[in-house]
Amino acid sequence: MIESLFSDPNYAASKVLLDATAERHEALASNIANLETPGYKRVDLSSSFTEAFAAQVKSGQIDNIPQPTIEQDPNAGTSRQDGNNVQLDKELMAMSSNSLQYDTLTEFVSGSLKQLQMAITGKTS
Amino acid sequence: MMNLIPGVDATASALNAENIRMDVVAENIANAYTTHGADGQPYQRKVVSFEAMLDPAGTGQTTVQVSQVATDNTPGETIYDPSNPDANKEGMVKMPNVNLSTEMVDLMTSSRAYEANLAVIRNARQMAAKALTIGH
Repeated sequence: MIESLFSDPNYAASKVLLDATAERHEALASNIANLETPGYKRVDLSSSFTEAFAAQVKSGQIDNIPQPTIEQDPNAGTSRQDGNNVQLDKELMAMSSNSLQYDTLTEFVSGSLKQLQMAITGKTS
Repeated sequence: MMNLIPGVDATASALNAENIRMDVVAENIANAYTTHGADGQPYQRKVVSFEAMLDPAGTGQTTVQVSQVATDNTPGETIYDPSNPDANKEGMVKMPNVNLSTEMVDLMTSSRAYEANLAVIRNARQMAAKALTIGH
């Protein structure tokens, strides 16, 4: 049981995603902080991470996913006159969905651990 | 190293930078009618410019800092006011180049940016609090 919980692909995936969402929050914080810095380009999770993660989730084999890193977002829209391409509304939207994702993941991890605890103790709380 | 509250360094630097900008706007508005500065000239408005820098603490975040507070050298308007002690022989007074509407717009942009950064902190705090509930 313990083995199967910790090697469960969903559990492994949510652990990686928790790291990734925390990292992404840092990226979004940088973007909003630099809302008015001339020439600043928005950053986000690196595409190498998101692609590797999506591929592994598809195959159901979650192992050696690269560490989530932050890089300049190549798909960001056109920049403003001062060379900055941060759009506050988009960043705030991304931030709320990102923290909602974080909440969901913590619920899932919590739930899995609670299940395990219930199995060990036979009690529901 | 990862912070307990993610992104807090970038946000803190932005709050600080916006604070400086608000100080400068306040200075401009306060001196909107100062016709006689320390150098005997009318007040010239100041502008703040921001620059991005890699967090010196090594967190990999891009923080903001005020690169310089420059003086805007465009000449202010000259008005006719012979009763002003700074008026010249023709009764004309050189006014500061402060435009109140420009300053108000700057002030609002700055406080909105400040609020956006506070929202980031609020969100980060929620995330950290949520992480502490894992297993409970």
